[in-house]
Amino acid sequence: MNAYYAVFRLRRRLETQYRGAVIGGLICQVFFGLILIALYRALYAGKPQMLPFSHVATYVWLQQAFFRMLLASDAELMDKVRTGGIAYDLCRPMNLYGFYYARILAQKLTGCLLRAAPMLLFAALLPEGWGISLPVSLPALLWALAAWVLGLFCVSALENITMAFTMRTLDPRGMQAMMNLLMMILAGNVLPLTLFPDSWQPVLTALPHAQLLDAPIRIYTGEYALSQAGLILLRQAGWTAALICTGMLFWRRNQRRLVIQGG
Amino acid sequence: MSYIHVEGLCKHFDIRLKREKGSLIRGKKRVQALQDVSFDVEQGELVGYIGPNGAGKSTTVKILSGILTPDEGTVTVGGRVPWKERKAHVRRIGVVFGQRMQLWWDVPIADSFELLKEIWHIPDNAYHKRLAELAEALRLEDLLRTPLRQLSLGQRMRAELCGSLLHSPELLFLDEPTIGLDAVTKLALRDFLLWENREHHTTILLTTHDMEDIAALCSRVMVLGRGQKLYDGQLSELLSRYDTQRILTVRYDRMPVLPELPAPVSAVAENETLRLTCRTADLDMDTLLPLLQQAGTIRELIVQPQNIDHLIAAMYQEMGL
Repeated sequence: MNAYYAVFRLRRRLETQYRGAVIGGLICQVFFGLILIALYRALYAGKPQMLPFSHVATYVWLQQAFFRMLLASDAELMDKVRTGGIAYDLCRPMNLYGFYYARILAQKLTGCLLRAAPMLLFAALLPEGWGISLPVSLPALLWALAAWVLGLFCVSALENITMAFTMRTLDPRGMQAMMNLLMMILAGNVLPLTLFPDSWQPVLTALPHAQLLDAPIRIYTGEYALSQAGLILLRQAGWTAALICTGMLFWRRNQRRLVIQGG
Repeated sequence: MSYIHVEGLCKHFDIRLKREKGSLIRGKKRVQALQDVSFDVEQGELVGYIGPNGAGKSTTVKILSGILTPDEGTVTVGGRVPWKERKAHVRRIGVVFGQRMQLWWDVPIADSFELLKEIWHIPDNAYHKRLAELAEALRLEDLLRTPLRQLSLGQRMRAELCGSLLHSPELLFLDEPTIGLDAVTKLALRDFLLWENREHHTTILLTTHDMEDIAALCSRVMVLGRGQKLYDGQLSELLSRYDTQRILTVRYDRMPVLPELPAPVSAVAENETLRLTCRTADLDMDTLLPLLQQAGTIRELIVQPQNIDHLIAAMYQEMGL
């Protein structure tokens, strides 16, 4: 077992410790899911859209179930960067980027898995027109799963860049507020990306945020045909690689000009 | 060449100032944290590194541990330049930053140690042997399954120290390791450090404001002030330079009749107790003792050097710090 896997395991365990947070998160996400669906039902009642409503409901539930993947940051890690506890990590024979990446990945994966199972079950039990639909086909489900894994890698890389910025600004709040806002909108959490105007789609789907949950959900609902799936995954992988490289570069530069303040 | 070799070390920090009224740009202030500091430390030495707040002690430690790059100067530790060969360098060092945490807050300390084991690539049996040894010396056996958040400050400090020593570093930097510890823990920690130094020949560089720590642990001290090295040598020699006063406390069985004392001695009487202060050079017990006996029946007589903190304060003052 190496250090990166060890920190992954430890962080995963830590995430399962906060049961209260899991339950609180669940209730909150269920609430938001219901509200959003009620909202879109009203929208459809006024002016029906091209997209079948079942797709919208499925989109909303999958977004809510995997919410922790998008909007959750490791407060302890942020604190470490902010208060200089990171000095200890610098005194260790390891790659800081990789170490933090493993830690972030563990948190996001565990956080959303813990919540996704009960959420999806709940959404499946809801009446027609409110709940989640089955995937369009079994291959689509498998492709969607693969795309979700890539999305997870991609979002962890994105988060690690935020962390690198925190090291410069010394306060994560401003950066985080901005990143969260972008995340909510561009990842399709507020309004499903599928409901944005068609002319926006080429831009929206090309952005990194669309690689996180939007891509796997569209494969799941069948909006992206299976023939396209390979290409979608390629785009996700491309963004992931680019974000990881950017993050590594930032960390390298940070390390060179780093000053741990205070005694 | 010596194990740690530092020559002409300089480091400055730019501190951004508050924007002045009417000005659009913020000014910068240059703070020289280290200025031409040189020293050598041999393997197995236990060196105290002292100086007032903001003297540059932590800056030196950060440079030596490879997390800060100096402006100028050469530094080698065991033949390596810390900030250039960071990974190879840190493999052999252990660090304790007294006011920062390396262990995880919400998990049992043993789990944090397991993670450190992987980070340092410690083989299984070496790890278990070392952990048993450290847990015994630091009295941690009963605490290993306790989450860090439930430990007291002293227990936490011991756990942090254990974490920093698991990989058996040959060089240990201790940055104020006894902050906030009770007397028993402090003594135990000192014993432990002496033991570690003796058993494993670990080189230890200790920064602290606790002069008792220094007195108990280090024969050699370096004094740093305003980024410059002001003294490097035996602690006893340093103290004797500033140890210019003696304090005599005389306790009588009843209120003494204050005798006429020679001029260099100043006296304060307080009920049955008489407190005399006098320069060490002027202390003449032959004349003083009969005079004191005339004043009444002596129950107790204590001759003390000045408190070590006073000595250091006097030294800092003389050095203009």
